[in-house]
Amino acid sequence: MTYTLIPVSSVTYAMKSKSILNRMGYYCEIERQEKGSRSGCGYVIRVKDDPAKILPILNAGGIAARSWTTAER
Amino acid sequence: MRQIYFDNAATTFPKPPSVAEAVREAALHLGGNPGRGGHYYSKKAAEAVYRVREQAAEMFCAEPENTVFTLNCTHSLNLAIKGILRPGDRAVISSMEHNSVARPVYALTKKGVRAEVAMIGRSDAETVENFGRLIKTGPRCVICTAASNVTGRINPIREIAALCRESGVCFIVDGAQACGIIPISLRDGMNFFCTAGHKGLYGPTGTGLLISDGKYALNTVIEGGTGATSAELEQTGFMPERLESGTVNSVGIAGLGAGIAYLKETGTDKIRSREEGLCSMFIDGIKNLGGARIYRRGENFVPIVSFNLEGIPAEALAGALSSAGFALRGGLHCAVLAHETLSTLPFGAVRFSPSVFSSEKDVAALINEVKKIYKNGV
Repeated sequence: MTYTLIPVSSVTYAMKSKSILNRMGYYCEIERQEKGSRSGCGYVIRVKDDPAKILPILNAGGIAARSWTTAER
Repeated sequence: MRQIYFDNAATTFPKPPSVAEAVREAALHLGGNPGRGGHYYSKKAAEAVYRVREQAAEMFCAEPENTVFTLNCTHSLNLAIKGILRPGDRAVISSMEHNSVARPVYALTKKGVRAEVAMIGRSDAETVENFGRLIKTGPRCVICTAASNVTGRINPIREIAALCRESGVCFIVDGAQACGIIPISLRDGMNFFCTAGHKGLYGPTGTGLLISDGKYALNTVIEGGTGATSAELEQTGFMPERLESGTVNSVGIAGLGAGIAYLKETGTDKIRSREEGLCSMFIDGIKNLGGARIYRRGENFVPIVSFNLEGIPAEALAGALSSAGFALRGGLHCAVLAHETLSTLPFGAVRFSPSVFSSEKDVAALINEVKKIYKNGV
């Protein structure tokens, strides 16, 4: 199954992302960035849904999520 | 001897059973370091901490990322005051500030910050006028307690906040005594709200909150590991991690969450009404003693009554009460400015501060003891 991984800047923003998405009925998991982030200690949120739907929701909640990657699991 | 606790303005005691249970559960099960790893225990701890962050943010109408966990209100105030003021800046504080405000500001005066004191007036209107005069001159920030830890008097925070907003001045509020007693939040207009977790929020000691509206970025007082942007030597800019270097007190924070939940369930109106009832009972019980002096001047109060008995130094009176099984705080209450304002230096006063768990029976026993001491001396 294909998942979308959205990097966020800190564990608090990861938790906030999860909280916002769960409230809106989207499933979401928090993970450490497997390859690490260039600035170190990155977190990603793993979602099943279309990032075009998810990113605006996060941005509206004050989370500066701009990019995503996909992964198979 | 049975001990009766009336020093809740320092730390509320006892705590609700749910707080003790939350601390126990956290000590047993929240083993990981929140935000420092991707393993099960770290994630579980991070989730628990975030839940309380959300709870606190909701209570004070803030965003979770602008809700910083600290050790106590003094810690919060130091982070805010030292984070905002630079050499050459001017700060305005009230004449009733606790040393948690007065001392950091005084320390900064040795580094080129100028400080001015706005007198708390006889009425709220007079207080607002006193602040207004100084705010017009463009200080960098104003710091004021929402309620005095000596007299319990509630200050006109909303009005002072409005003046600060009009003049573009940063407003920091010390909410240690008001929190959990009166409804107070960022909606009242302050930029920073500092409070303790172990007082009116009924959390454990070692917990506090620094809540911000996000308008001002604070310079850091402490730098270190934050679990964010770790590859850089520059302290992370992301909140709240920027101000939370080192491992947070996840066990205490779990207890604080239970305290906030207790408060929400019980209702601040109910708590204030009960505690104010006990204060009125205490005042009525001692006010007619010829030598009793009660320091309550103004309009609205949180449940604190400071008093003296003529001819008995405050510490001696508190000592005599302690020997009889009553825990009240005597002396200067870490608030030399306030006692200077009240003309109660050098001995200070004795402070009675009940909690929601205090009883009428215990207040009646205290009144009898005060009368006995008044009659027989210490």
